[in-house]
Amino acid sequence: MLINKTSENDKLTIALEGRLDTLTAPQLDAEIQGKLDGVKSLVFDFKKLDYISSAGLRILLMAQKIMNKQGSMVVKNASAEIKEIFEVTGFCDILTIE
Amino acid sequence: MGFNFRGLAFKQSMMILAAITVVFGLIFGIMSYKTQDMLDRMTLENGEETSRANVNYIDKLFNAGKLVGDDVASTLGKRKMTKAELDTFLLQSLTNARNLIPQIVAVVLAYEPGMGPETPTDGEFMRLARFSENEIKLITGANYQDKEWYYSTRDGRTSRWQEPFIGEFVPEPIAVYTVPIFQKNKEDENILAGVLAIDMSIDFLKETISEIPVSNSGYAIITSAKNEVVAYPKNIAQGKRNRDVVVKEKRGNSQIDFDRRTRDSSGLFLGTVAGGEESAIYYTTIKSNNWTFMVVWPIEKYLKDQSAMRKLFFALAIGGYGIILVIILLISFRVAKPLKELAVAARKLGRGNFNVTIPQITGRDEISEFAGAFSNMLTELKDHIEKQKDMKRIERELDLARNIQLSMLPGSEHDENSDDDRHELAPFLLPAKEVGGDFYDFFKIDNDHLCVVIGDVSGKGVAAALFMMVARIILRTTTKNLKSIVDAFNRTNFALAKRNKLNMFVTVWAGIIDLRSGHIDFASAGHNPPAVRHKDGTVEFIKSKPGLVMAAMEETVYKPQTCSLLPGDTLFLYTDGVTEATSCQDQLFGDNRLINTLINGGALSPAETCSLVKKEIDNFVQEAPQFDDITMLAVKYSGSDEPVWERYEKTINVNNNDKSGELKSFVEDILTPMDGAKKVQMQDAWDRYEKIVDVIPENQDILTAFVEGILAPMEGSMKSQMQINIAIDEIYSNIVKFSGATQVTLIVEIRKATLTARLTFIDNGKPYDPIKQADPDITLPAEEREVGGLGIFIVKKTMDSVSYRRNGDNNELAITKTL
Repeated sequence: MLINKTSENDKLTIALEGRLDTLTAPQLDAEIQGKLDGVKSLVFDFKKLDYISSAGLRILLMAQKIMNKQGSMVVKNASAEIKEIFEVTGFCDILTIE
Repeated sequence: MGFNFRGLAFKQSMMILAAITVVFGLIFGIMSYKTQDMLDRMTLENGEETSRANVNYIDKLFNAGKLVGDDVASTLGKRKMTKAELDTFLLQSLTNARNLIPQIVAVVLAYEPGMGPETPTDGEFMRLARFSENEIKLITGANYQDKEWYYSTRDGRTSRWQEPFIGEFVPEPIAVYTVPIFQKNKEDENILAGVLAIDMSIDFLKETISEIPVSNSGYAIITSAKNEVVAYPKNIAQGKRNRDVVVKEKRGNSQIDFDRRTRDSSGLFLGTVAGGEESAIYYTTIKSNNWTFMVVWPIEKYLKDQSAMRKLFFALAIGGYGIILVIILLISFRVAKPLKELAVAARKLGRGNFNVTIPQITGRDEISEFAGAFSNMLTELKDHIEKQKDMKRIERELDLARNIQLSMLPGSEHDENSDDDRHELAPFLLPAKEVGGDFYDFFKIDNDHLCVVIGDVSGKGVAAALFMMVARIILRTTTKNLKSIVDAFNRTNFALAKRNKLNMFVTVWAGIIDLRSGHIDFASAGHNPPAVRHKDGTVEFIKSKPGLVMAAMEETVYKPQTCSLLPGDTLFLYTDGVTEATSCQDQLFGDNRLINTLINGGALSPAETCSLVKKEIDNFVQEAPQFDDITMLAVKYSGSDEPVWERYEKTINVNNNDKSGELKSFVEDILTPMDGAKKVQMQDAWDRYEKIVDVIPENQDILTAFVEGILAPMEGSMKSQMQINIAIDEIYSNIVKFSGATQVTLIVEIRKATLTARLTFIDNGKPYDPIKQADPDITLPAEEREVGGLGIFIVKKTMDSVSYRRNGDNNELAITKTL
């Protein structure tokens, strides 16, 4: 999985490419954990993400909890398949999906 | 301790007293009779003694008087005398007689009319010489012919003593002896000439009688032949005249005049004299004159003697009675007291007090013997109870051993992880009271092979139990390792036989069932052939050649045997505890009853079949005790309605970078022969691929690639592919994190006709059924969300079906998805 981080003032955009699953989730976790200080707007770009597993959902949940305190978080360009995952898991209710 | 009137002592005393009373009564009766008899005899003797001298004296006197009379009469008969001569003769005779017998007071001569000297023809002649006042006078009498003394002698023509009377010329009581005088006439015939009488004074008798000493206030009396009193002590009459002094005899309550003439010459009787007091009277006959001499004792005195005798005896009896009573009571108490104490001790003992003191009883009688025995009993009872306690402890430990032994047998298929869809199995073991040697076993050798075992160790007890456990474990281990029942038998037999000093043995039947085909490879070590109930309801014994029992000979080689089960068949294993269950009438349950029971059972499940057989056995044996373990094992073979998969296995080294090519060629190699017509034919079938990996996180990629490789040619949707990938991710990561498994086998099956894929994850981790996990709450705000359980939740939501089962030591989780 590839992770592209683009930072602009207090806005951080993370674009993911490939699979966010049990094996790759720790990479993303490492990129986010303790690195969101001062970030007020967090954007996940899932345009090139193939799929997401529960391990990935766990990272998203963790990030959402942090951003609820200090700003906002948006998930962009999710495919229909990933949106369906969000649907069945109820994540569509806690994430902002554009 | 009060006196117990129902006690042994009292009863015994009463019985002895009763017996003694009877004995005393008898003795008393006999003694009184004897005393009476003795007293009578003493009285008789006394009377005889008293009377003898007197009677002799009187006899002598009267005999002398008689002699004188006879002599005088004889002289008178011989010579005819003149009156003068006669006077002289009379004088002379009286003088002579008185010299001899001073009591003779007169000699009287009276002639028949005309017979006297110098007498006219009809003239009387009576002359007597009489002694009076110291001189003898001659007197002439007359008118004598009507006097009794005369006519009685004349008419009787014999001499006799007359009844005493007071004479005409002799004014005193006299006894008269009269003698007829016979003279010869001219024709020399004896004719009665007259009567001579000798008068004897009997006044002297009164003197004599009074002087006779008689003991016990007694006295003597004399009566004449006609029972007139002749002489008696003066004080008796007390002014009564002679004729009032009458001797009466007591007959019952009345009194009659005593008449000696009707009795013996001497004897004893009760009676009265002159109306006086009642007396015992002895009488004896005075022979010379036919008078009676009597000795009289007033009865009061006589009875006093008797009653004194009785009183003495009675006093002795009462005294003896009392002494015996005291002795009996003493003995009884001596017996009863320790018995009572022993009874108290026994009662305490009965309540469980074993420290009760037994009363010490000295002596060597039965009581002390009993006390000793009782004491011994107590000691032995104590010992026995101690032993019983030991026995109980041993029994408990045996029970424990039995429980351990039984608990080591697998209870259900679930325990043994041998359950699957293709068969159903139920064991049954009802141990006899003792620890026995029956056992069964079942386990899976691999996914498709189920081994069932039943066995029976010879003998009973701990040895049999230990032997059974060893045999079972060796057989189980060798069967699992060697995967051949015959090899396992040979090996197990060798192991058991090698160190079998007790010469035990075990019969075993074991078979390995191929759950795919129903084929059974089996071997028998001397065990009963199992029965099979076919789907159509028929039942038969398997043709099983019994080999030698196990542990008998080291070199025994068992023959491989086979049979087959069709789907719906039930294999029924049992020990001889079933067929040899014995009824009260000593009949065996037997093969036929077993077969009939199985037939009647119809299509019952294995567990129900075992229960039915047990019920039939119970009905058959009824109250008879169970001597042997009853062991059964039933397996119903259901078979599989799915076709047999062709199976390919490939193990790859995950460290090898060239892994994808290897996998690809593996799959292609499998699939290549399916080209063409065969491929079309196979379209309806499931294709099956299997992948085994070690459980490390990185192998998830291998599995994903393996699956993608298989699914890609199916040309399903990307979405399905992606969802399958997520499912693999979730399931595998769960196995990695939580199961503790070391190896995962992934079986991928595809059905091209319906574009369906089935993935089965088999791991050897701890049992875990993810389906049973509660779904996470997906409505909570982010802050309250938990991520646990979400993965399986996703799988459940995205896959067409998810199923779990525990198969043996493995978890099997299967998912299906239409591509």
